[in-house]
Amino acid sequence: MKFQLPQPLKVRGAPRELATGANPYQPAPARVMRIQDLTPDVRLFELRFSDGSLARTFAWRPGQFVELSVLGVGEGPFSLPSSPTRPGILQLGIRRAGTLTNYLFDHISEGDELGIRGPLGNGFPVERFSNHDVLMIAGGLGMVPLRGLLHYLLDLRSSVGRIILLYGSRSPEQVLFRDELESLARRGDAEIVLSVDSAGGRIWNGREGVVTELLDDVELDVDRTYAVACGPPVFYEFVLEKLVDAGFGKNRIFLSLERRMECGVGKCGHCAVGYTFTCLHGPVFSYWDAINLPELIYT
Amino acid sequence: MQTLRMNSALLPELLEALKEWGRVWAPVERAPDVFSLEVIDDDVRRARPEALRTIVPFKKLLLKPRFTMLSGRTGEAPTDPLDNDAGAQVLFGVHACDVHALKILDLLYLTDYADPYYQRNREQLVVIGYGCWPDEHCFCESMDTSSVDDGFDLFLTPLEGRFLVAVGTSVGDDIVRANPNLFEAATRQDTRDYLRRLREREEAFSLEIDVTDLPYVLELKKDDPVWDELGKKCLCCGSCSMVCPTCSCFNVMDEVGPGGDSSRVRIWDACLYRDYAVVAGGHNFRADRADRVRQRYYHKQEAFVREFGMPSCVGCGRCIENCPTGINVVEVFQYVRGEL
Repeated sequence: MKFQLPQPLKVRGAPRELATGANPYQPAPARVMRIQDLTPDVRLFELRFSDGSLARTFAWRPGQFVELSVLGVGEGPFSLPSSPTRPGILQLGIRRAGTLTNYLFDHISEGDELGIRGPLGNGFPVERFSNHDVLMIAGGLGMVPLRGLLHYLLDLRSSVGRIILLYGSRSPEQVLFRDELESLARRGDAEIVLSVDSAGGRIWNGREGVVTELLDDVELDVDRTYAVACGPPVFYEFVLEKLVDAGFGKNRIFLSLERRMECGVGKCGHCAVGYTFTCLHGPVFSYWDAINLPELIYT
Repeated sequence: MQTLRMNSALLPELLEALKEWGRVWAPVERAPDVFSLEVIDDDVRRARPEALRTIVPFKKLLLKPRFTMLSGRTGEAPTDPLDNDAGAQVLFGVHACDVHALKILDLLYLTDYADPYYQRNREQLVVIGYGCWPDEHCFCESMDTSSVDDGFDLFLTPLEGRFLVAVGTSVGDDIVRANPNLFEAATRQDTRDYLRRLREREEAFSLEIDVTDLPYVLELKKDDPVWDELGKKCLCCGSCSMVCPTCSCFNVMDEVGPGGDSSRVRIWDACLYRDYAVVAGGHNFRADRADRVRQRYYHKQEAFVREFGMPSCVGCGRCIENCPTGINVVEVFQYVRGEL
């Protein structure tokens, strides 16, 4: 497999450039190759940089994000549900939530050109995961970045131990990548358990209840496991302490956080929490780092 | 560093000569005791370098309060219209605190992913410092920013009838060599007078802030009711941020013009504004005024120290002078320490 991960981010180091250009605010054009509905309000956009050489060389770490831009409408940060082990095409999982995403849903179709800046942020510390078990816990849209990590780990299957994914959604039709995850679960390369708050009478082969309950049924060797959690604020309130109770050190739990990442390169200030620019030092933090920053997890 | 002397009467001549290096900006008295930083090329005698603080600091020369970062046809690949590019500029009459502030902005904008808009103006900026005398709002002495060793091209310290001139860079040396009639070698008497001035100036500070262990003190006090009290007093008008020489947050918004042309516009912003931390979908990470006030002080005095080893407050006193409800940064930290 031919790919090279970019080096882990050194914050406030020597000047450096984004892959998409020397002006970090200038997006590089990328064409929409395919659009797929994942749920009623989440779509998968597949993009390819219009510049052929950039399309071939653009690399990212699982957990990094990009800024997606439509001049005249705006820009927004989106995490990547695809893995750098499968380069060439960038996938973005986008929920309809505001001005930009409404525009993307209503006016963008396959063949259109959008702008991309990136890759941004630190990403998951995947080097540390090698020869360890990895427990991923996703809540709702938190599945988007974890799906990129899942693909990455599966593509490097022999270098990691168990790959466990616990994924909770509100209802069966809200489950992202459902067919793919169910088929992966059957194949046995990863241990995948899906749950919904309530199946509401619909056909559902997974579990019912909140995602934290799934943890009770997983046998874990916490000394050789890293935990990665991604979900909305209320999700963290329950999951993180439960992982600590299960025996995980706070520096072995990683989470990815949402903030208003506007410039993406540590300048505009909007994502600042304490001394941390979420866009630059994050969006991935260990629980130890995150708990010591007021406002970061619990607002 | 080379040190020279210049007769005070030659100042207008120096200012005229500086026009060769770009448009000359200096503090100008707009109303009694109200100073603004303006271009003085038409009449250099308007310069009032001794004025303690201009309302808005030098940051406006580097990043305009509002400029177009990118423009083009809506939905198409945009280009940089160079709207922020100011060309060569000379900043005359910068005091030590503001030179430190400039170095802080450099740290923020020129490290990591360099900001090209800032960088292009910064690379063409000539900095001429000026030795000031503190008033009741100055607390740079406490912030360790009351003097500078670098960050300027020339630095003029007024002594009786003359200036002691420190040449800080090669550009400063260019200015000196191009104007040999203005400068002469400094004497031992100049050094003695400079040292006496230094001592007397230290004595002249009346405002002090105790920064001992301040980041940890703030950590201990993060849930203190003092922030709620301040939240009630603060209007979150953002004046303190606009006048702060190191506050440099910005907002970006897209505008569509007639005929299908669009601009991505960058505007000064402040962490005190209500919608500063709102994300798509409407969640506001700092909806409470108290949280926003706390964030501003923590970013200056705690966060920046943790990341860069120094606070990002230089003690210029602008926020004290311009707060409409009289919030005083020094008193805030005295409250935090339980001294008030």
